[in-house]
Amino acid sequence: MYVIIIYDINTKRVNKVHKYLKTYLTWIQNSVFEGEITKSQYQTITTELKTLIDEEKDSIIIYEIPEKYLNRTIIGYEKNPMTMIL
Amino acid sequence: MKQPLNINSNGILYRKDNTLKYTNKEVDKTIPIHAINEINCYGKVSLKSGAITLLQNEKIIVNSFNKYGHYQGSLYPKITLNSGTTIVKQALAYNNPDQRNYIAQEIVQGMKHNMRKTLMYYSKKGKNVTEYIEKIEKEPILNKNINQILSSEGKLWQHYYPAFNEITKNFPLKKREFRPPTNEMNALISFGNSLLYTTTLSEIYHTYLHPSISFLHEPRERRFSLACDIADIFKPIIVSRTIFKLVNTNMINKKSFKDDVGVYLTDKGRQKFIEEYNNKLKTTIKHPNLNKKVSYRYLIRLEGYKLIKHILNDKTYESFKAWW
Repeated sequence: MYVIIIYDINTKRVNKVHKYLKTYLTWIQNSVFEGEITKSQYQTITTELKTLIDEEKDSIIIYEIPEKYLNRTIIGYEKNPMTMIL
Repeated sequence: MKQPLNINSNGILYRKDNTLKYTNKEVDKTIPIHAINEINCYGKVSLKSGAITLLQNEKIIVNSFNKYGHYQGSLYPKITLNSGTTIVKQALAYNNPDQRNYIAQEIVQGMKHNMRKTLMYYSKKGKNVTEYIEKIEKEPILNKNINQILSSEGKLWQHYYPAFNEITKNFPLKKREFRPPTNEMNALISFGNSLLYTTTLSEIYHTYLHPSISFLHEPRERRFSLACDIADIFKPIIVSRTIFKLVNTNMINKKSFKDDVGVYLTDKGRQKFIEEYNNKLKTTIKHPNLNKKVSYRYLIRLEGYKLIKHILNDKTYESFKAWW
């Protein structure tokens, strides 16, 4: 499944979340990650994120999109292109 | 779905924050470690020890190719799927002429079927390849001993490759030649085959099979010959189809090649080939027995599972034969 994860987290904890998400998804912009993951990875990520944040003060939103309906338009420059050919 | 990471430039790969980072003069990029299943290096890539440890733990194979696109070797992680029984049975199956001949001729049968299917596809599109299809159909697979099987395999390729001239007119293939490839089509075939070899190798890594004990090819030193066996079944379906698409749609043209000691793809041409090849591997089809959609890459691993079932006397091996 294709997911977009956006978050708003206190600076004390934000780095932990950023570092963790980096191992699964591509960092697109500040506080935005996106990429293709499996269902089991989705479970792992959600459980892990719950332990990293303070659920009363921080917020994370996960969007799930079927890849065939994904329509991506970029205005301006692309900060971090998602390519697997370097 | 996990993807392979292809590195076409020169740079350093190191570990940062429990994931990989690739850096050179132009780019500085973080690579999500859980999103990749293998790394192919075509440029000069330095791996730092932290990165090596991480790759070993995550069971990711690193394949390296030289500047001509020839396969040089792999950084093969420690074997975690370890099964003594399977390896002993695999070696015994190799040593038993009946068993070995059965598996070898089944591989050649699968190859023959897939060659026919590929040519039929282009025959439907109006290419004049009927005579080659007939030649392939008529070629018997003798299975008295391994040399006979190998010679029928060779003959099948001899019937198959001339059909390339009918399917595409851009790059004629006079004769299949390698080390070094002498014309454009030979270069494409050689490069495609070495890509398929590495893909097969990383899929075999995820099964209990030992990659050096093979059935059709003779197991030798310094190569993973089981990967050659299994790759043969998929060459017509994956490599040939990719080549025809690239050449017939003009994605690869005369400019994509350079003359060195032989004819080789340029960096840009290679990049296009890899992109198209990966798209092919990602394509999914409905599997009749598993009753779900599987990718071409997963089909390769299924071959491994079927071989294990055969050598453990669970289910007789039937090689992959394109059913669509």
